[in-house]
Parts: sequence; structure tokens; C-alpha cells
Amino acid sequence: MTEMFANLGLGFGIALTLKNIALCFVGCLVGTLVGVLPGVGPVATIAMLLPITFGLDPVGALIMLAGIYYGAQYGGSTTAILVNIPGEATAVVTTLDGHQMAKQGRAGVALGTAAIGSFVAGCFATLIIAALGAPLTRLALLFGPAEYFSLMVMGLCFAVVLARGSILKAFCMIMLGLLLSTVGTDLETGQERMTFGFPPLADGVDFAVLAMGVFGFAEVLRNLENPEARDVVRSKIGRLLPDWNDIKQSTAPVLRGTFIGGILGILPGNGAVLGPFASYTLEKKIAKDPSRFGKGAIEGVAGPESANNAGAQTAFIPLLTLGIPPNAVMALMVGAMTIHGIIPGPQVMTKNPDLFWGMIASMWIGNLMLLVINLPLVGLWVKLLQVPYRLMFPAILIFCSIGIYSVNNQPVDVIFTALFGLFGYLLIKLGFEPAPMLLGFVLGKLMEEKLRQALIISRGSFMTFIERPISAGLLVVAVAILVIALLPSMSKKRDEVFTE
Amino acid sequence: MKKAALGLAAALTLALAGGAGAQGYPTKPITMIVPFAAGGPTDIIARMVSENMSKTLGQQIVIENVAGAGGTTGITRALTAAPDGYTIAMGHLGTFSAAPATYPNLKYDPIDGLQAIGLAGGTPILIVARKNLDATDLKGFVAAVKASPDKFNEAHAGVGSVSWTTCTLLKGQLGVPKLNSVAYRGTGPALNDLVSGQIDFMCDQIVSVAEQVKAGTIKAYAIASAERSPALPDVPTTKEAGLPEYQIEAWNGIVAPKGTPKEAVDKLVAALDKALNDENTKKRLMDLGTVIPTAAERTPEGFAALIKRDAEKLSPALKAAPK
Amino acid sequence: MSLNKIEAARSLRIRSTQDFAAGLFMLALALLALFLSRDLPTGTLRQLGPGMLPKSFAVICAGLGLLLSANSLRYNGEKLTGFSWRGVFFVLGAACLFGLTIRGFEIGPLKVPALGMLVSGPIVVLVSGFAATDVRPKELIIFAAAMTAGCALMFKYALSLPIPLAPWLLGI
Repeated sequence: MTEMFANLGLGFGIALTLKNIALCFVGCLVGTLVGVLPGVGPVATIAMLLPITFGLDPVGALIMLAGIYYGAQYGGSTTAILVNIPGEATAVVTTLDGHQMAKQGRAGVALGTAAIGSFVAGCFATLIIAALGAPLTRLALLFGPAEYFSLMVMGLCFAVVLARGSILKAFCMIMLGLLLSTVGTDLETGQERMTFGFPPLADGVDFAVLAMGVFGFAEVLRNLENPEARDVVRSKIGRLLPDWNDIKQSTAPVLRGTFIGGILGILPGNGAVLGPFASYTLEKKIAKDPSRFGKGAIEGVAGPESANNAGAQTAFIPLLTLGIPPNAVMALMVGAMTIHGIIPGPQVMTKNPDLFWGMIASMWIGNLMLLVINLPLVGLWVKLLQVPYRLMFPAILIFCSIGIYSVNNQPVDVIFTALFGLFGYLLIKLGFEPAPMLLGFVLGKLMEEKLRQALIISRGSFMTFIERPISAGLLVVAVAILVIALLPSMSKKRDEVFTE
Repeated sequence: MKKAALGLAAALTLALAGGAGAQGYPTKPITMIVPFAAGGPTDIIARMVSENMSKTLGQQIVIENVAGAGGTTGITRALTAAPDGYTIAMGHLGTFSAAPATYPNLKYDPIDGLQAIGLAGGTPILIVARKNLDATDLKGFVAAVKASPDKFNEAHAGVGSVSWTTCTLLKGQLGVPKLNSVAYRGTGPALNDLVSGQIDFMCDQIVSVAEQVKAGTIKAYAIASAERSPALPDVPTTKEAGLPEYQIEAWNGIVAPKGTPKEAVDKLVAALDKALNDENTKKRLMDLGTVIPTAAERTPEGFAALIKRDAEKLSPALKAAPK
Repeated sequence: MSLNKIEAARSLRIRSTQDFAAGLFMLALALLALFLSRDLPTGTLRQLGPGMLPKSFAVICAGLGLLLSANSLRYNGEKLTGFSWRGVFFVLGAACLFGLTIRGFEIGPLKVPALGMLVSGPIVVLVSGFAATDVRPKELIIFAAAMTAGCALMFKYALSLPIPLAPWLLGI
């Protein structure tokens, strides 16, 4: 314990130099502003700004890049709350209740709750990394393909609970998401699947393209159709910050979200994606009145946002202790480190203690910066909602178009997004919710990859999923979630039949 | 109104184009297409080299990441651009030498359909295995694989990736093309499962695995280069370890569309040469485990010969690989 | 099992046009996926082929679609409401125009040069703006110019994204 504080002391000694604080601030500010732009997520942001850090020393450069990362993560939820566009998978859940809160004139409260929740989560996650980083590394190594597959199955069961209306329709959307995720070149054989022989589809559907289409563009179409609904957002501008009641309501969800997100963030292969979904599921299940969810429940913003931020930070653990990047953003951080002459590996902690602890300390400072930057910005964002809708949606469109174009520098992506916009509009008309589809889409790729890996390693035996204890445990949880989710709705349906 | 604007635009374009021809190349920023996501090995090398080249050329080289289909999407775009010297690309072993055998519908010809500029760097390939695998050296490993191929699991980062290409070559040479191979989305997750012992071996670039080998979390059997690497001086070459035919490097090099004016090609070649002689750039590249190209490899002829040589080497194994 | 009897006693009619259409929609997508993946090998358990999961998912989608349509005959639900094509046309059309003009394109005899953001940007704003019934053209033109200038400064200069501004005019 004393060693941990000595190490943290070393870290703060490095991170608290004027230059590093300034770099952290600039990183968080730039990250927030860019993260707010639809389509430009953390990966794109860090990639774009990587060259700016070439002239800095390694510690300073990484502190700034980490700041950009947190900022972009956080900025993404701002867009999710204000205009219902999730910049990336982890922000999908935030759109559910966050945007509803905005429609009720509680955008400021939602943004404030997200900022405070993220800060609290960040503080705890920093402590977890400092105290338990090394032992927790083992968790990442316990998860082989079989465990991963079972985890994904469990994640899909969360999606059922996410649904606001009919469970059958939620199942439809999950399966459609899974189906969409198989479009593109097969990882193992290189064969093209369901691409119509069209080269731009060879790499499958991009998440940003799908999310911006079915959420962003479809939302614009829905709003154009119901002029009354969109004006509600403008007419009511409530409090800018959460009051005592809001804080009391969100404390427990924030803590639970931090715990869930923190654990899932350590897993390699983007386990952090599941964090917000798991947190939302939990909050909805233990709430006294689950029907509030999807209609602007503050717990539905506080929990997932904390889980998101905690996961974003603990995702650094495998990178810093094992030298293995668990996801695309961390792979980019490896790139950034190598440019600065540090090749991450199991020995970073002992060979570059100043870098290791400096970064951990800067995580906490970065979270503080986010709070300092974002609370004053809440007022500005809320004011943006007062722009008349006839000008607001062309602005959303130009930002989205440029944003999507710049993800891969592919003009055809913009056209795909428009097609998915039409698809999303059809889904709305048919009474489907897009959120479970996006979860199915995100988990589908991982699930297929892990299923095939596990079966090759087990030489075709499905018993591998049951024989391995962690995998079996996860499957039991999955079945339990499904039963809990299905039972009430079955009895409800029966009631409906009888009372009709 | 719009017609008038377009007319004006056309006139201006003509005027500008005429002007550009009279002055020396380059008169505006050059786009370098990197056909992979930012932050990857090719992107890093491209950014390091282009930073110095920009200074020499007096115009900024803008990196444009156009990822997709194992890098072939970006290279296709670069090679179909106007051959004016303002669009160039950085590709690697996979996009030039392996792609013709891997992608039957490839839209470009890496041997005759492009203007090579020069090699920017070679990255050695290592054969690595989980730390508790029985075989202690490459000979023992080769014997064990040949004796019972079904006992082994090989990991790679997807069809078309460097690890897949190089390991398919190895399996072809060992005569076990159907050995169980497990596909991952990227080198990171594959390495994770190698460290945790879920899979048995893989082939990958030195930059990805060197630190793990040094820390003893995985072991390296051999390096597939002519000489040992200063980053891992204890790892023998394949020649020393008894598998001399397995020689392969994951190189990165710059190309331009076929028909690029000679003036532009010469200036780009000179700028690349200068960048690779610059102490700062050289040190950064060598920190990555990159081998700095020889004077001959930095020339268009030398690089074109390398593309052709490796294509001939890889093609039989890749075409025979089970798909 | 008394449940079944109650249902059987009712006449079969479409009680929710929305659910009925939704079921058919799922079925259609599933059939399309099955058609597109018809040539992909399913492989064996030991070595799953590229077709295994797409085909399985498609079959499940089709099953769920049928169930949804069948349920719409039994349970009351939402009705299908009309589509507003004005929004679809202008909004999605604007995005498509952006994609087509930003780097130029060639479809058969039709050839458009790369116009860049300084042209594509105003096109998006102007075309999509007409989706709103309360559109004010003068305001929209000023807004389009301002947004484009802002975006050019932000994306091209502040973030130095490699996005073409106006290759035909400025060469970049």
C-alpha cells in the first residue's frame, strides 16, 4: 500500500509539472471538441492529432494523447444526448435515456450527470489501476476464445433487456445486427460474403456508417415528420446542472457502473464495449419502476456513462502491464509510443516507471480537466439546441457528411450512410428499436471470430464452452438474464390475451 | 448562375494547370496514401519518412489513410490517380508481392502497373511460440510440427495480413499447408492468446513481439533475415537454426502511378534517399527494429526487383493455401 | 393450453399492420441474405466455413419474422403510418450528392470532377434545407456559406484532415 502511494507520488510529481498539466488540458479540450463532431471518434481523433505530438517528449506526448482519448470518449456522449447520434458503440446506450432527457428540457442535467459520473468513475478507475493493475492483468490472460464467446452470448442477452417495447422485436433487431456483422470479407478464408461483389463492402459495414445512418439521419427524418416533437426541445430549457435530488438518484448507479465498466475494460478484444450495456441492464432490472427507462431515466445516463469512462481507463491495464493493446484505440497508443521510442511490453512498468506512473497520475488529472472543461460548456451546448430546427438539421448533415468521409477518406461511405438512414427510417416506421441491432452488430464480429477460434482449438467440440469454468459460469448468467427478462413479458402477454 | 460559375471554374482550372507545368515540381502538397489505419507499422514508417521528405521537397506530404481489403483499396486508389507526382502511396510486402496471389480480383498489377520509387524500410519476421512449448530450438520445432501437425495451432491476424502471409510461406515450406490456423482481428489479440498459451506459435514482425521475447513471456525460435537483429541479438537467423530457405521480410516502400513524370520520380527518390540518411529519422526507424534499405534498394529499379522477387517466392505457397 | 383455445376461437385478421409489415420485412431481408450467401460453404464443426453463421442468422431472422407476422394476427398493436417522402428525398439526397461530388465520380457516360468541400458543403446544406416545410431560402444560403467556411477552417486547417477543398480552383 505504501509502495502504491510512493509510486503515485512519483507519478503526480511528473504529471503535475506545468507543461504536462497544460498538455493534458489541451488534449482534453481538443478531444472534447472533436469528439462532439459526429463521426469523428477517438480513433480518428488520435490518428489525426498524432503528428502534433511528434515534437514532444514521450511522457508529455502520451499524457496529451490520453487526454484526447478521454475527451473524445466524453465528447461522444454529448452528441448522443443532444442530437441522438452515438459516435461509437459505447455511446449507443446514452442515446436511449440521454436524448429523451434532452427532449424533456433536461439536456443540461443529462450532460452534467454524465460529466460528474465520468469523473467519479475516472477517480475510482485510477485507484484500481494503481493498486491492482499488475494482478488484474492475469484476468486478461484467463480469457481465451471460449470464455470470450460465452461473454458475447451474455452480452447479447443484455440487449434483450435494453428493449423498450416488444421482446420479440428486440430479438429480431439483435439477429439483424448479427446478420449485418457478417457482411464483408471472411477473416479466416478471405472469401467475400454478401457484398454484392461491391468492393467498398469488402471490409463490411463500418460502425460509424451504420450508427450515423440508423440513429443520426433517421432521427432527422423522424423529427421532420413530427414538427411538434422537435420544438419541445427548443421551448423547454430547464436547469443547467443536476440538483441534489438528481445526484442522490445517480450515486448508486455511478458506483455500480464504475465497477462493471472497470472489470470489463480489462478484457482484451474490446470487452469495454459491453460495460455501458451491462450497466444499463443492471439499472433497469433493479429499478423500482423499469418502465421509466427509455423515457429519460437519469440512472440510464449515470450508470452507463460511468461504466464507459471506467472501462476506457482500465483498458490501459493490458497495454501498460502486458504491452498488448486490447482494442483499436490502444493499438493506436502503441503506435504513438513506438513513434516516441518506447515499445510497450511487459517491462514498461519497471523500465519506464516515470512513464507508467506519470500516465496513471495524468489519468486522474485528465478526468478533473474534463469536469473543469465540460461543466461550463454545458450551457453552450444547451444553447445550441435553441437553433431553429430548419437550420439545425442541415448543420447536422454537413458535419455528419464530412465526419463520415474523414473516417476512411471514402466518399462512398457517405452514400452508404444515407442508405442506412433510409433503413433506419423504415425500422422506425415498423416499430423496431435500433439500439439492440447496434449491440448485435458490434458483438457479432467478435462472436463469430471467437466461436471459430474456440472450435478450431477444441477440434470441433462444443463441450469446450461448458468444460471451462469461466465460460460455463458466463453461460449460466446469460441463461439467468434471459429467463428473468422473458418471464414477466410472457405473463404479461397472457394477461393481455385474457383481458382483451 | 451555376453555369457561369462552372465556366469560370473551368477557365481557372486550365489557367492553373498551365501555370503548374511551367514551374518545377512540387508546387502544392503531395498526398501519400497509406492503405492501413493510422498508428499501424506502415503508417508509422510513412509518417517518419514523409516528415523528412517534406522538408527536402519544400512541400508538405499529407498522409491519407485509406484502409480496406488488406491495403488493396488504398493502393488501387493511388495507382488510378492522375500520374502527376502529387499522389503517391506507401504499401508493403502484402499489398505488392502477396496481393496478386491472395486477391483474385486485384485491380492493379504490382509488377508492371506502377512506378516504384524506393524501399523505405524492412522489418524482420520472427517465428515465435508460447513459452512452454516443448521444442527448445527451431530444429526441434520443425521436427515436431512435421511429425504431428494436428497437435499445433498457429495464429495470424487475418487473411492478407503480414503474419498470415509469412506464416503461410513457412507452412508451405514445411509441407504442412493444412495445419490448424486460428484467425484473429489484428496482431494484438493474437499475441494475447499466445502469451496466455491458448495457441502454439505465430510469425510476426519484430516490432510487435520483441518486448515479449525479451521479457520471456513468449519464445523466439528464429529470425527470418540474413543477419541477427541488434534488438534481439540472441535470436538465431533461420540460416543458423537450420531452415535457410525461410527468408522473408515485411518491407514497406513508396510507389507512384505508372506514367508519373521523370522529374517528379527523381525528386521523390532523392528525397527518400536523403530521409533515410538523416540521423534522426534513421534512429527512429531503427528503434522500431527496421532495417535501413541499402543504396540499391532505395532506387526504383531495386525496389521493383524486390517486389518481383518476393511475389515469385510467395505465390506458390499462397495459391496452395487452403481457403 | 387453454390459451390456444381462446385464440382459436377468434377470427384471423391482421390486428397490427405495423407488426405484420415488420415480420415481412425481416423475412425479406433473411431471404436476401440466404440468396447472397448461397455459395458460401458452411464447413464442419471442426472448421466452421464462412457461410455457417450468415446462413444460421438468416434462418433465425426468417423464423422470427414469421413469428412476428403470425403474432400480428393474434395481438392488437400499432398501425402502419404513412411515409413522408419529402424528408427522405431531400435529406438523404443531399448526403448522396455530397458523397458523389466531394471526390468526383464516373458512372458510365456521366462524369463529375472532384468538386471538393467548398462546393459539396453548400450543396448538402442547400438541398437538405428544403426538407423542412418552413424553409427560408435567403437565410439558408447565408447559413450554407457560413457553415462551409466554418467547416473548412475547422476540418482542413485546425484538424488538418486530408479533405479536398476545391481541387479544380485551388489545387488542394
